[in-house]
Amino acid sequence: MKKFEDFNVLELDTIREIGSIGTGNAATALSGVLGCEVRITMPEVRIMGYNEAIDWIGGPEIITAGVLVRLDGELKGIMLSVQQLDFINLVLSRTVGQVVEDYSQLTDLDRSALVEVGNIMISTFINALSGLADLTITLTVPAFAVDMQGAILAVPMAEYGGQSDYIMTIGADFICNQKAVPCHLLLSPDIGSLNFLLKKLGVLDG
Amino acid sequence: MADKLVVGIADMKMASREGMLITYALGSCIGICLYDPVLRLAALVHVMLPLNMETGRKSPLKYADSGIRETLKQMEARGAKRSRITAKIAGGARMFDVPGNGSLGNIGQRNIESVHMTLKREGIKLLKEDVGGSVARTLLFDAATGQACVRSYGKPELIF
Repeated sequence: MKKFEDFNVLELDTIREIGSIGTGNAATALSGVLGCEVRITMPEVRIMGYNEAIDWIGGPEIITAGVLVRLDGELKGIMLSVQQLDFINLVLSRTVGQVVEDYSQLTDLDRSALVEVGNIMISTFINALSGLADLTITLTVPAFAVDMQGAILAVPMAEYGGQSDYIMTIGADFICNQKAVPCHLLLSPDIGSLNFLLKKLGVLDG
Repeated sequence: MADKLVVGIADMKMASREGMLITYALGSCIGICLYDPVLRLAALVHVMLPLNMETGRKSPLKYADSGIRETLKQMEARGAKRSRITAKIAGGARMFDVPGNGSLGNIGQRNIESVHMTLKREGIKLLKEDVGGSVARTLLFDAATGQACVRSYGKPELIF
């Protein structure tokens, strides 16, 4: 079984393509919810050390909202939608018709809207992946938390920490009305499942 | 005040007599402050998982059991006496309430249990703790006084 740091260029390109298809589908879904045009940036596959990953997402102590879904079945992993305040306000203004100045002002209805938007994006991503590779993937009910993003990102790290010193994230950022919105959609796969997926797609070397 | 020494994930730093150690955003991870009051030697280790079952054991600081042992070893190498070393811990939260039987929810709880057990086994007295719940914590540890401070979102600072 290959580890994250052992993948070659072709394998990484395939993973990036999966990210592209998944994120593209998620963007279409998001566009439907928000009623505006949503584009995506070039999808990235990153294999990072723990502390590098925390720096990449913008520092450990910044407060963000996170929607987390656990994947099971033929592909195991964790998928996260990390939503910063500007994104939250974009969603809230288009769905419940109000904005908040701070995370502490989020009402139950607001939280519910954010969970639903996160869940829709994650489910569309996984649905596309499942169709592409002909995999049966089950999703848990989404969980929601508002807290330091370092601790939110540490959830997939801890989950696969026994397998690897690295975390793999697959995802892209969204652009809405020509403005980048701070929302990361991240898939953190389990190493065994990723090997299985690449093998199924016929690109796993060795 | 001098710059803070930042302890990353699966990392450990020491300071003696003065200096502030800090580790950010402990979720299910645990920050363990170990202190020898005579030497005023402080060590802060940030562990992520309960038990080291890795072959080769390349990163002992990632796990509670091997992380605490490794830290004690390095403290003793600097002259600390095990009988004087005390501990304060923070972390072990459950960040997401995910239904199902995955290990997602209880890594924090297992970390707490493993830290307790390892400290007991190594004969280190646990003075204070701020563990569990569902909030992330940033932990500061002052080498001059041995005082620890926990900062979390939407709550007042806790000094212990």
